[in-house]
Amino acid sequence: MEIIIKSEQDNITALFSGRLDTPASLQAAKDIQPLLDQADKTIILDFSGLEYISSSGLRVLLTLRKEAARKGGKVIIRAIREEIRQVFLMTGFYNLFDIQG
Amino acid sequence: MARSLKPKSFLGVFARQGLAIIITAAILLEATAFLQFYFSRRGIEQEATRRAESELENTEAEISGIMSQVEVAVKNNLWAVRNMLPHPDSLYDITQRILDFNPSVSGSAVAMIPDYYRSRGRLYSPYSYRNAEGEIASKQLGTDTYDYTGMEWFTEALTHPDGYWSEPYFDEGGGEMLMSTFSMPVYDSKGRTVAVLTADMSLDWLSAVVDDIDVYPGAYSLMVSRSGQMMVAQAETLVMRSNIQHVIEEIADKDSVSDALSRSMLSGERGRGTIHRGRSESEVFFAPIQKTGWSMAIVVPHHEIYGNVEKIGSLVALLQIIGLILLVMIIRQTAISMLKLRDVEERKEVIERELQVARNIQMSMLPKTFPPFPDRHDLDLYGVIIPAKEVGGDLYDFFIRGDYLCFCIGDVSGKGVPASLVMAMTRSLFRTASAHENCPDRIIGNMNDTMSEMNESSMFVTCFVGILDLTSGQFRYCNAGHNAPIIISTGGARALDVASNIPLGIEIDMKFEAQEATLRSGESLLLYTDGLTEAENEDSKLYGDAALLKVAGTIGGLSAKEQVDKIEESVRAHVAGAPQSDDLTILNIRYLGAPDAATDRHLVLHNDIQQIPQLAGFVETIASESGMPQGMAMSVNLALEEAVTNVIMYAYPKGKEGLVEVEAIIRKGEVEFIISDSGQPFDPTARADVDTSLSVEDRPIGGLGIHLVRKIMDVVSYARVSGRNVLRLIKKTQA
Repeated sequence: MEIIIKSEQDNITALFSGRLDTPASLQAAKDIQPLLDQADKTIILDFSGLEYISSSGLRVLLTLRKEAARKGGKVIIRAIREEIRQVFLMTGFYNLFDIQG
Repeated sequence: MARSLKPKSFLGVFARQGLAIIITAAILLEATAFLQFYFSRRGIEQEATRRAESELENTEAEISGIMSQVEVAVKNNLWAVRNMLPHPDSLYDITQRILDFNPSVSGSAVAMIPDYYRSRGRLYSPYSYRNAEGEIASKQLGTDTYDYTGMEWFTEALTHPDGYWSEPYFDEGGGEMLMSTFSMPVYDSKGRTVAVLTADMSLDWLSAVVDDIDVYPGAYSLMVSRSGQMMVAQAETLVMRSNIQHVIEEIADKDSVSDALSRSMLSGERGRGTIHRGRSESEVFFAPIQKTGWSMAIVVPHHEIYGNVEKIGSLVALLQIIGLILLVMIIRQTAISMLKLRDVEERKEVIERELQVARNIQMSMLPKTFPPFPDRHDLDLYGVIIPAKEVGGDLYDFFIRGDYLCFCIGDVSGKGVPASLVMAMTRSLFRTASAHENCPDRIIGNMNDTMSEMNESSMFVTCFVGILDLTSGQFRYCNAGHNAPIIISTGGARALDVASNIPLGIEIDMKFEAQEATLRSGESLLLYTDGLTEAENEDSKLYGDAALLKVAGTIGGLSAKEQVDKIEESVRAHVAGAPQSDDLTILNIRYLGAPDAATDRHLVLHNDIQQIPQLAGFVETIASESGMPQGMAMSVNLALEEAVTNVIMYAYPKGKEGLVEVEAIIRKGEVEFIISDSGQPFDPTARADVDTSLSVEDRPIGGLGIHLVRKIMDVVSYARVSGRNVLRLIKKTQA
């Protein structure tokens, strides 16, 4: 699991790759700290490399989403794979995020 | 104690009811009898009164008729006397003529008032009478020795212009008989009384007339004169020697009643009265003879009047007593019969209760918890006995020994308690014989020998014994006269080939043939008793082997219980409510295949979250082995990770090491995962599902894991088995 964060002018892009399973989510919760810090901006989560996500991973994403909602930022998900989209649908997360493409 | 008290109180109730019935019956009978007696008595009394009164009337009419003749004779000759006054001797002619023309007149006189014919002396009275020869004789009555002027017939006639009947008297001078004289005054042309014309009437006939009164055999009649002289009486001696008071004293106890009675009679009244003499009573009916003022009476003893009705009354009373005694006996007999009947009923109830207990005991011998081996994934087993009303002798049994499933089904000949006892024995024999024996023919042989030795009641048992090798699906079996089981597979159903052999308990040392067959994974071996194939409908048509095979051919792929349910349904449809005459027993053994030894389908993890990637590898292997599509594999992986994470995080107290075991079973069309741990009891399925429609702010962080498991898996079930949490997850790999 790897998260690469790139900051631009008005938005931040986080590139997810690998499996966001339970152990990986523990690390990811720490890795997304920069995103939480800048949650007033537009955060783009690039899921093109994300192969798998567990409920722990979803919880990490929910934490970020809540922070953004609190600070007035936005969270956009891009390039989501079908399998991940299914998980988002099953859990109702699909409606919580701005999912593009 | 309660039982022994019951009949007693029952008898008490019955005795009270019986007593009430008897009293009511007695009251009714008595009332009827009394009314009947009362009305008959009244009727008889009225009849007696009517008869007596009519007798009295008739007699009076008869007497009056005779007396009238005398009166007429006197009246008709008054003018003759008046005309003949100047010729004293001619007066003899008149008296003679009176006798001549009136046979009932015994004497007649013309008694002149004293000194009427001075030439003839002071008294002159020509008199004619019938002498002893019956001829009419005449003489002059008035002599110095016979002064008629003081005689009643003379003196009273002077004051009775219409005539006067004298009191009866005994004519000692003339006819020597009881007489009464009718006399009338004779007036001359100047209206002066000059003589008294008389006619004597013998009262001899009166006695005959009165005696003729024949109302009742024991009745008698009386006639008394105005002064109370007895004129006619039962006892001749009373006549003229006594008066009515004496007579009544003679015939009745002296009391006010008889006094009043004689007063009434003497004052010329008509009526009736009762007199007592000792303990007997008599009824006296009396009426006056108007002309003379005499009183006539008929005395009837009560027993003459009421004798019959009293006899009938006694007879009725006797019959009533007999009837009441009979009633008492009948009620007693009925009570005893009812007691006996009740006793029989109670005994029957006791027997039925005991039979029910026997049946319960019998049923409790058979394994009835299904699924019997929840931990086993190679076996799906279901059995049922639908008992007939009467205790029967069907049985099935099974148990696992090592890698083998030992099973049997049997049917004892006959029904009732004997069959159930043999059934219990058969089951014990099976357990004993199969405890260490894997050859069904030897098990059957053992059972047969023991049963044949003990079989004094000639009961036999059809039986099928099988030993299934759970690792391979191979099974060996031996049949002893039982129905051939059916093998159900997804493609259809077929009867297992069985050597029929003879049933158990018939002949000792019989050799039974063992056979062998294989159950493929998913196939069922359906064992049943003839209660299934011989289930009858109302028209006595049997369900039959063909129908069973037909249904069995359509139920492959269902669980063991579902298959049995379908068969039951089919039989029930055939029977359509007709009473079940025999036990119906089915034992269905569905073999699900041995775990594949080539693949390690077992994973043990520590309660460490870092072990999750190992789980992912395990699931991936299983997924590819079972041929899951890629997407499904990922979600199954997700479900497994969620479930296992749950155990790792929560099953054991913090810092305590523990294990999580994951087992996978690949079957046709589905994969089953069993996740187990020895941690504290925790049922994840008991958690309420998360609400996925909540907004970002409201969404809780937790609870998603089990939600995902539920969403992804087709079956999620939790059980706490032998101190372990067992979570079973099944995913259908084919739609």
